Amino acid sequence: MDGNFRVVVAGGGRVGRRAAHMLDDRGHDVVVVERDSERADALSDDYVATVIEGDATRPDILEQVGLDRADVVAALTSQTGTNLAICMMVRELSPDTQTVVRTERESGEEFDRFVDEVIFPERAGARAAVNAIEPDVSALEDVTGELDILEVHVADGAPVAGKSLDEVALPHGSLVVSDAAGDMLAGPETVLHPGESYIVAVEPTVVDEVMNLFRG
Amino acid sequence: MTSHQAPKSSNGVGSLAQFLDAEIPTEQLTIWGKSSQVMSGGERAPAAELGLLDATMIGMGAMIGAGIFVLTGLAAEISGPAAILVFMLNGVVTAFTGLSYAELAAAIPKSGGGYAFVREIFDDLPSFVMGWMLWFAYMIAGGLYALGFAPNFLELLHVYGVTAAPGEVGALAIPLVPVAIPATVGLALVAVSFLVALNAVSTAASGSAETLFTIVKVSILVVFVAFGFLSAGGGGETSFTFQQFDPLFPDGTSAVSILPAMGLTFIAFEGYDLITTVTEEVENPRENIPRAIFYSLGATVVVYALVVVVAIGTLGAEGLAAAGEAGIAAAATSFMPTGLPIIQNGGALIVFGAVFSTLTALNAVVIASSRVAFSMGREGQLLPRFGNIHHRYGTPFVAILASAVVMLGSVVLPTKSAGNMSSLFFLLSFIIVNGAVIKLRRERPDMNRPYKMPYYPIPAVLGIVFNAVLTVVLIVYLVRTDPLAVGLSVGWILLGVLAYYGLRTYRMQTVPTDSESTDSSIGEGDDD
Repeated sequence: MDGNFRVVVAGGGRVGRRAAHMLDDRGHDVVVVERDSERADALSDDYVATVIEGDATRPDILEQVGLDRADVVAALTSQTGTNLAICMMVRELSPDTQTVVRTERESGEEFDRFVDEVIFPERAGARAAVNAIEPDVSALEDVTGELDILEVHVADGAPVAGKSLDEVALPHGSLVVSDAAGDMLAGPETVLHPGESYIVAVEPTVVDEVMNLFRG
Repeated sequence: MTSHQAPKSSNGVGSLAQFLDAEIPTEQLTIWGKSSQVMSGGERAPAAELGLLDATMIGMGAMIGAGIFVLTGLAAEISGPAAILVFMLNGVVTAFTGLSYAELAAAIPKSGGGYAFVREIFDDLPSFVMGWMLWFAYMIAGGLYALGFAPNFLELLHVYGVTAAPGEVGALAIPLVPVAIPATVGLALVAVSFLVALNAVSTAASGSAETLFTIVKVSILVVFVAFGFLSAGGGGETSFTFQQFDPLFPDGTSAVSILPAMGLTFIAFEGYDLITTVTEEVENPRENIPRAIFYSLGATVVVYALVVVVAIGTLGAEGLAAAGEAGIAAAATSFMPTGLPIIQNGGALIVFGAVFSTLTALNAVVIASSRVAFSMGREGQLLPRFGNIHHRYGTPFVAILASAVVMLGSVVLPTKSAGNMSSLFFLLSFIIVNGAVIKLRRERPDMNRPYKMPYYPIPAVLGIVFNAVLTVVLIVYLVRTDPLAVGLSVGWILLGVLAYYGLRTYRMQTVPTDSESTDSSIGEGDDD
């Protein structure tokens, strides 16, 4: 199942809540663990994820997320130590599950031995600030409003694999811009080769459908 | 659960870190009503948010479909005037499972319905069994509704003198087929084929039209009930009278006889669970979904009770039983006024209601059955191809076609066998849904449950007990009277066992080589 992940997000705060929304938009199964009961209720109202109310560093709580089936655990609380503790526990309880840790400061490669991915959200904030200060040049993800510009890899056996664009009916609100190399704009005769990547502009409401078509 | 590369490479849409970087204004979080979903068979344009009324109407519309029109006659045949009790008690039994659905739907934001909830907590095998049974139940229900559609459609043609009475329409001799097909079976085949084709190539799903459809159906039944009661004291042979209910249990039947009838007609209350397949489109779902389930169940019980009272009160249980699948239509023709402008015969309105209801219900189960198969494909519990949407039509094409095969096959079954099998498998799957509530409460006590069923665990346990009792009674009754249904049901379960272990072997062979030509062997013509 390349296309459909089961993702556990530890921490439903600023970063975790947004991540849950985006993952849900892309058609993944999301479980959020949140300690604060008001935040947990707000997340339930969002209706994007199953919510476990409790402290993810407690094994009793972490065992309720269904770790055996989870593909990825993303520890996204604001505390690096908490996040690291969660990822260590996941590695112990379910060695096959991938781990993503959010850190408070740029960390180089020091965490690479313990987790699979490290993210540092403040870098994105800094980039947005720079983009605002110097508006002539913008990083891609800040160009658009709600629109997602994605680089999508066509999976073997996916519905669109090997089809040309004029054979394929993409949902309204999505557009193949170019191949990943970005040499030329995609046209009706552009063939979506399996194994290659394409730049696609997508509105959030149809992202999961586009993912199904490209990823199977 | 098989691909465990780093998220970056395996998900193929840029790294996790990259999309976590994107900034969203806070206010967008609350207005991001998820509206377009793959599960819905591909509503491509974002759908409007559904309110409490819409959600209630979806549930009522799915329930008040074919069951009441098709099965009332059969219920009367088994238990006489006590058929009224049959429908009311079934409503009560279903309400317990309704509580379970409400709790699950409020807590688990997935649009897959019963299968998705069970998949959330149960292991591979039980959730496969659930999906396999639910899929079958919907497909056989499709056959049942098509079989209910055909005689009512012929009756409609008959009322306007286009054809002879339903019983007298001969077999159609189709040039290409060596054997003659009975007209009803032919019509049922045409109806299934038409709706399958429609849903396979078009994503214009009924969504918003559902409320209107339901209002039409309910209005027609209200007219039926009103004229039925008005005929009281008319002195005619079929004027409404409560004497038709005396005795409630005629000779040779006892209070126990309503149990098999309940089993047979259980399917009349199948449908409220469809509310939980559109949850993500409903506004304020964690409050509105439970309400919509209860309102639609309550309203449907009332509608059914009134319709059955009128049908038996006018035609009598025996007359109703004799009319079989067209029972309600026959009752209506007996007391509705004639000589009206345009429609001429008032009874035709009710017959039209039956035709309309069976067709819309058939459409609903075509979508519902393919949705179960699609979800199972997504979860890797059927061939992955079932979980793909078509590159041109945007529909779960393979899932729809696969469902159509069984549905078309079930059209040749006797109506009774189709009803029996469909009810049986819904009963079994509802037992599992109640079990899922209990298992989730035990294993995930800290899961946020926006709606909690009152007096847990009593409703869930009662749901299991009542559904299990009906299952056992139905099986015993079937072994005596309907060996065909028993044989086919056992056959489907055995086929499921084969499919489950076959698929496991298939996955073990393909996984190590990582999806290299995984589906060259199953080319269902989606190359156009």
